[in-house]
This record gives sequence, structure tokens and C-alpha cells, in this order.
Amino acid sequence: MIGIIMFFVALVMLLFGFPVAFTFGGVALIFGVFAEGWDMFAFMPFRIQSYMENTVMMAVPLFIFMGIVLQKTRLAEQLLEAMGKLFGSVRGGLAISTILVGSLLAASTGVVGASVVAMGLISLPVMMKYQYSKSLACGTICASGTLGQIIPPSIILIILGDVLGIPVGDLFQAALGPGVVLIGCYILYIVVITWLNPELAPAIPYDESLGTRSQQIRDALKAIVPPLALVLIVLGSIFSGIATPTESSALGGVGAVVLALIYRQFSWKMLFDSSLETVKVTAMVFAILMGATAFSMAFSYTGGDYIVEEVLLNLPGEKWGFIILAMIAILVLGFFIDFVEIAFIIVPILAPVAEALGINMVWFAILIAMNLQTSFLTPPFGFSLFYLKGVAPRSVKTFDIYRGVVPFILIQIAVLVSILVMPGWYGMD
Amino acid sequence: ADGKVYRMKMAETWNSNFPIFGDAPREMARLAEEMSDGRLKITIDSANKHKAPFGVFDMVRSGQYDLGHSASYYWKGKVPNTLYFTTMPFGMTTPEQYGWFYYGGGQALSDKVYGKFGLRSYPGGNTGNQMGGWFQKEINSVEDLQGLKMRIPGFAGEVMAKLGAKPTNIPSGELFTALERRTIDALEWVGPSLDLRMGFHKIAPYYYTGWHEPATELQFLVNDRSYKRLPADLQVILKSAMKLSAYNMYIQSYHESAENWATMKQEFPNIEVKTFPESVMKAMYKANEELLAEKAAEDPLAKEILDSQAEYMKKARVWTNISDRAYLDSLDNLAD
Amino acid sequence: MFLVSLERTLGRYSLWLGKLSAVLLLLLLCNVFYDVLMRYAFNDVSIGMQELEWHLYAAIFLLGIPFGLQTGGHVRVDLFYERLSLRGKAWIDLVGTLVFLIPFSLLVGWYGVDFAREAYELGETSGDPGGLPARWIIKSVIPVAFFSIAISGVGMILRCINAIRGVSSDGFDHDPIQH
Ligand code: NA
Ligand code: NA
Repeated sequence: MIGIIMFFVALVMLLFGFPVAFTFGGVALIFGVFAEGWDMFAFMPFRIQSYMENTVMMAVPLFIFMGIVLQKTRLAEQLLEAMGKLFGSVRGGLAISTILVGSLLAASTGVVGASVVAMGLISLPVMMKYQYSKSLACGTICASGTLGQIIPPSIILIILGDVLGIPVGDLFQAALGPGVVLIGCYILYIVVITWLNPELAPAIPYDESLGTRSQQIRDALKAIVPPLALVLIVLGSIFSGIATPTESSALGGVGAVVLALIYRQFSWKMLFDSSLETVKVTAMVFAILMGATAFSMAFSYTGGDYIVEEVLLNLPGEKWGFIILAMIAILVLGFFIDFVEIAFIIVPILAPVAEALGINMVWFAILIAMNLQTSFLTPPFGFSLFYLKGVAPRSVKTFDIYRGVVPFILIQIAVLVSILVMPGWYGMD
Repeated sequence: ADGKVYRMKMAETWNSNFPIFGDAPREMARLAEEMSDGRLKITIDSANKHKAPFGVFDMVRSGQYDLGHSASYYWKGKVPNTLYFTTMPFGMTTPEQYGWFYYGGGQALSDKVYGKFGLRSYPGGNTGNQMGGWFQKEINSVEDLQGLKMRIPGFAGEVMAKLGAKPTNIPSGELFTALERRTIDALEWVGPSLDLRMGFHKIAPYYYTGWHEPATELQFLVNDRSYKRLPADLQVILKSAMKLSAYNMYIQSYHESAENWATMKQEFPNIEVKTFPESVMKAMYKANEELLAEKAAEDPLAKEILDSQAEYMKKARVWTNISDRAYLDSLDNLAD
Repeated sequence: MFLVSLERTLGRYSLWLGKLSAVLLLLLLCNVFYDVLMRYAFNDVSIGMQELEWHLYAAIFLLGIPFGLQTGGHVRVDLFYERLSLRGKAWIDLVGTLVFLIPFSLLVGWYGVDFAREAYELGETSGDPGGLPARWIIKSVIPVAFFSIAISGVGMILRCINAIRGVSSDGFDHDPIQH
């Protein structure tokens, strides 16, 4: 019972506007000490250490650094503007470019914090400069930054592989189809919505003073090359075995500095300032993780995991009823609980039932992964939402972000349903 | 016996549904509860709850948990002498090691090491002989080990390093990709019982036989104060449940290895099982001996443990040779 | 006036931690780059250097948190907060800091001391070949960071009091991160 009360108290407390990280920590403290005593907090250093030793999370500061250097040297802006121009009169060109860049980042990391923040730094200012609707811009960034979850390599797939005992390679392969479909749907959505309502995302105006149309396209192509080369270095180093996905983020950071040198944008001050800002953003991401780990500690040690277990054990024992209710349960829990907790608390309860019902476990894992990805976007506890808020200009309000992600959440649910109904189409029978 | 119910909390190093390793503590808790007619209740927190897979030693020591299920060699960085109670390269086989632990003085030495920290350690289940690992390239000579990037942690990694190999840290989630893309050349995990689910057989052609972990024993850690709070009959029940579940895990590992190896071989008939050539084995043996001599010279208790193991193994191996080995050898070529 | 200058002193400490982290981040970048280069080009791996990566990364994010607090870098759900007056914001921050932030960070810091001391007393080292010794150093970053968060919290309280008394509105008007 305490767990449920804790959620609602945290919800109300968050609305007061005190920093999210410490609201989580404080609520955990009050409920934890009340129900279990001070000693429960002796677990905190161990939990913190598990983040310290989690070298996969090292991609967070490194990718953020890459993003900030690209942003400070204006190379990222050039990339997006160039791509926007290439799409010419297509409305929403910048949003589509953002989705494409987000997909590339997703293919190089599975750490959502890193991609959402990098995208927020890189493309939000550009979209705002060209009068995009704030909520459309924010929704696009959160959704494409979160693609890192489903597009391999991905942390959630690695965890699910571990929990369900499925080779990670199989999951990575199975996730590709749904990932590509999702990207396609996002782009389609942008095209349709901007066609219906041009105000949302105006085309980049054609400026004659910059030369002829074909010359502008040539310039645009030229501007795309360097940052794209950078992304290719990151991806290429993973595929050729030069670096692990985590290490590739450092290559990206070094590459960004090299680009700055080549384009004569480098200075020691730029380097240090980029580093200092990276520290600030990284601290924001990890403070939330520290607060959230305290919160989930208090939740599970005060018996919350048993409540969840109780509910799930009462799901129906027939295939479609089970799957649909399990998906709804995960989606609802995803509003509140961290995906790692869900993967470890809930999935082990569901797995044996699914297996007994003869459900294809790879398919089941992909459904869960899609579902958990959505949990990053669902207000009010959506990590992607927090991360974007952390780097957005002051004029972007929390509500803009909440409103912006709604259509993308609906798209994800639609794709989820399509995987549910037509597994064969995705190669999972 | 009074009717009072005693509750103990156990932290395990594994995640909640890790097969085999995680089955042992659950079996132990079930046995303890049933044997005590419900008077001894043990709840298990997995690593995904306490988030400290390698903090089990500290948490049981401080009393945050009464019991732990882990492996002794994980504490080597904290207490060097814990290294010797899991398995040693070129060391005893599982039955030999159980003989040493229960009848050859092993338990007393373990108490000497762990007692200082208010802890007791008991066998927690054996994986049996572990495989030498998955390799992308063949090892035909010691030269082939030069610069070989391999995920092989702990003491065995030190042995390999002495021969010029390069032990490499890769997070377990990235191991598959790292081996597939040849960021590393080789890795060791456990054996077919647990390797199957990692999928390494799909990406690496050579599966080498073991040398470095012939008898990996997990451990039950017990906080001494918690233990002494139990009435005498429950103490006996706890110890019996630990012993029985440890034995059970050994048999389960054997069974799962046989089953999973059959599955792997059926799916991927081209997997080549290889044994390191004699020259490589000799070089590794020598490196191992030198490292052990260093450890013995540094610490008298280490020397005592190593001497005790060496002496016991000498005796036990003679018996192994004229029993199991002689039997298996005598069966060779019978079918031809 | 004393409160204002005390607040600035505490602020300088947090800023210093941020700058330290920024230097560590650049070192981390070099460290990872070096490790990849050595492994790929020269087939050489050092577990010690690999472990240094997570030592640096951990110190960066931990020591960055008080810095983020000082510079307004932590995310708020500002559906209502943004509409409040300066005094209203100051009251929320004051109560939040006193009830949530300071007790939480002191408690974690307190248990962090035991955690680091344990590693020191055991002389804990890495268990892997060629790994780093003296684990207590990186473990003690936990208490240092959390006590520093508490110190930053004291600075925040002073800022709130100054704002409520109308002495100074410092610290309520931070630039967002990238501009
Ligand atoms: Na990804
Ligand atoms: Na959520």
C-alpha cells in the first residue's frame, strides 16, 4: 500500500516545481525512513556504485559533449538547415531531418539520455529559429531521441535478453523491422500534419541572395558532409570492431573537436566551455537517476514489488487476454516506474506464463521493448521529457513538451498493435 | 523447539531469474522452510532489487542481510585469501575439491579467512568444469597468445597476461557485439549450461576446453551474529539446506550442460571443440605456479591454504586416476 | 550582507567542483580515445587504463551535481512554478531544500562515509589483472559529492532567504543550458 501512496505523493510534490531529482530523493527519504528506518539508506552507496561502474552509461557525457561541440561550432545547425533546405519546399523539413539524425544516433547508442539531450541541444534551437511550433519540435525530439531504445544497440533489449534468456543478437535482429517502421511512421506523421496545418512547421524560406536553387543545394550537400562523416565514424567504428558502442561515443567527441579544428572554430575556451556545459547536463541526467534509484529502492523495500506481483499473477490464462492485459499493465506501470525496474520485476513474472502459452518469446520481448520505449515519453514521469526540459530554452514550458509527445505516443501504440496483430509481417511468427 | 518463526534475508549476486545459479538459493530457502515446518523463513533479494551484485560481502558483513549467495573469488580485491575457495587454475576437480573442503581441512581454513569479518562461508553449488572459452582464432602456440584480447577476469586473467595475452574488460551486455565484431578475440563465460543463452556459438568457431576453472564453487555467506541468533535445531537445518542445495546445483549444472551442448551442436554442427596444445598448457601451468608462489610468499595464510590444497590434490588425484580416469580411458575405442 | 557573502563563498566552491569535473571530462575523452587506439592499432590493452575510464566518468557526474544545483541546471516540472512570483519560488525552494534536498544528501553522504571507510580499511583493490589499487579513493567521491550537494543546498537556502527578504534575487534567473 505504501508504494501506491508514495507514487501519488511524488506526483503531487513534483507539481510544486522543486527539482525532480531531489523531489524523488526526498519522497523516498520520508517514506523509506517512516516504513523501514534510516538503515535502508545504507543501500544507497551500493546503488550509486552500480551507476558508477556501469560503463555503458559512460556514453551519456561523451555523446552530450559531441552534441555541445557540434552546437557551439554551429556545425550541427548547418547540418540541419542544409537538410531542411534539401527538402526544399517540404514543410517540416527540419523535423524530418531531426528524425533522421535521431535514427542515426539511435543506431550508435542505446542510452536515451544521451540522444535526447544531444538532439535537444542540436535541433531545438534551429527549429525554434524557423518558427516551428514548440510542441511539435519537442515531441519530435523526444520521440526520435527515444528511438535508441528499440533500434539496436539498445539497453532495454540487452536487459530483456538477459531476463528472458534470449540471445541478444536475436533480439537486435528482430527489433530492426519495428524500428524502421516507427521511423517511417514518424516521418509520415510530420508530412501529414504539416500538410494539414502549415503553421506548425514552415518550410525554410528560399532566399535568393544566397544564390540559385541548384547552388544552394550544392552548399547544403557540402554542409551535410562533415557532421554526417562524424556519425559514420561513430557507426563505422562499431561495425568494424574498432570500438564498442560506448567507446564510439568518445570517438564522436574527439571527431567533433577535430571538425572544429578543420573549420577554424576551435579555441581552448570553446573546448573548456563545452566541457563545463557537458558536466552540467550530465549532472542533470544523473541526478535524476540518483533520485529515481532512491525512489525505486523505497518502493520495492516497502513492499511495492509484491503489490505489482500480486496484480500480475491474476492476469487471465488465455493467450490474447493475457497479452493484451500484460501490455496494458506494462504501459500503465510505465507511466510511473523506471523501465529497468519493469524489466526486472514484471517481466520475470510474465515470462513463464507466456512460455506456457506457447508465445514466441522474441515477439513477446519486442512487444515489451516497444511498450517500455513508450514509457520514456509518457507524462508525468517520462525520462525523455525531463531530459529535454533540462536543455530547452526558457520559453519552452513543461506543458509544451507534454502536449508535443502525445501524437508520438499514439503512433507508438499503433505500431505496437500492428506487431501484436501481424507478427508475420515483421518476421516473428 | 519453540514455535517462534525466524526470518532471514538473503542477497544474491544474480538477477532474479538467472538460471541454475539463482535456483540454488531458492532451493535452499524452500528446503529450510519445509524442514523446519515453517519456522525458518528465508526471503531472497536479487541484484535487481539491491543493485549491488558485488556488494554482497559488505552487506552480509554489516548485517543488512543475514545471508548471501555469491562466489568467494569475487572478494579477492577486498580480502585476497578469499580467492582460493572457488576454484583454481589447474586445481582440483569438483569431487576432489568437495573432499578437501569437507574432510581435508578446507572448512577450517575458510573459517580462518572469513571468521575475521564475522562471516561464515559454505559451498553454494558447483558449475563443474568450465570451458576455456570462445575463440575467433585457433591457438596453436604460445605466440598465438601474444596480444590476444580476451575477456577473462580475475586470477586466470593474470595467468594469461603473464603469457602476453591482453585481458580486456567489456560490459557483459556488449560482449556479444564485441566478440562478433572482433573488438576482442576471445572470451570465457561458463560452459554450455549458461553460454547457450548468450549466443556466442553463433559467432565464434572455436570452443576451447577448460583449464582455469575446473570446479567453480559458489558460496553461501552467513552473518555470524544472525547465525547465532538461531536455535540449535534451525542452525542444523540451515546448514543441511545449504549443503543439499549446493549438491543439487552441481548435478543440475551437469545436466543442463549436457542438454545445452546437444542443442548447440545440433544447431551449429560446425563448432569445433579444441584443447590447447601441450606447449600452451605447459606455459600456462608454469605461469600459474609462479603466480601461486608469489602469493604464498606474500602471506602466510595464503601459503597455508595453497599447501593444504596441493597436498590434498596429490593424494586425491592418484585415486581419481585409478578410478574415474582409468574407467573412461578403458572405454576408449570400445565402439570401434 | 553576511548572508549574501556567505552564499557567494559557497557558490564559488560548487563552481570550482564543476570546473574540476570539466577537466576530468576532457581527460576521460583522451583516456577512452587512447584505449581504443592502443587496442586497435597496437593490440595492447591495459585493464588499469580501462578502469580509469569509469573512475573518471563516476567522478564527473557525482561532482557535477552540486555544480548543477548552483547553476540552476536541475530539471523542474514547472507547470505552476514558472507562474509564481520571485517570493513564491523562493518559498518552494526553501522548503524543498530543507525537507527534501539537505536531509537526503546528508543521509546518503553519511552512509557513503562508511562505504568508503570499509574500502579503505580492507585496502580494497581491483580484482582484475593490472587493475587499479586504492578503491577507497573513488568510493569516497560519493560522500564528498553528497556533502557538497548539502553545502550547495545551504547556498540555496541563503539565496531563498535573501530573495524572500528582498535583499537579492541572485540565483533565480539562470540562463538555460545552451545559450
Ligand atoms: Na540504439
Ligand atoms: Na513514464
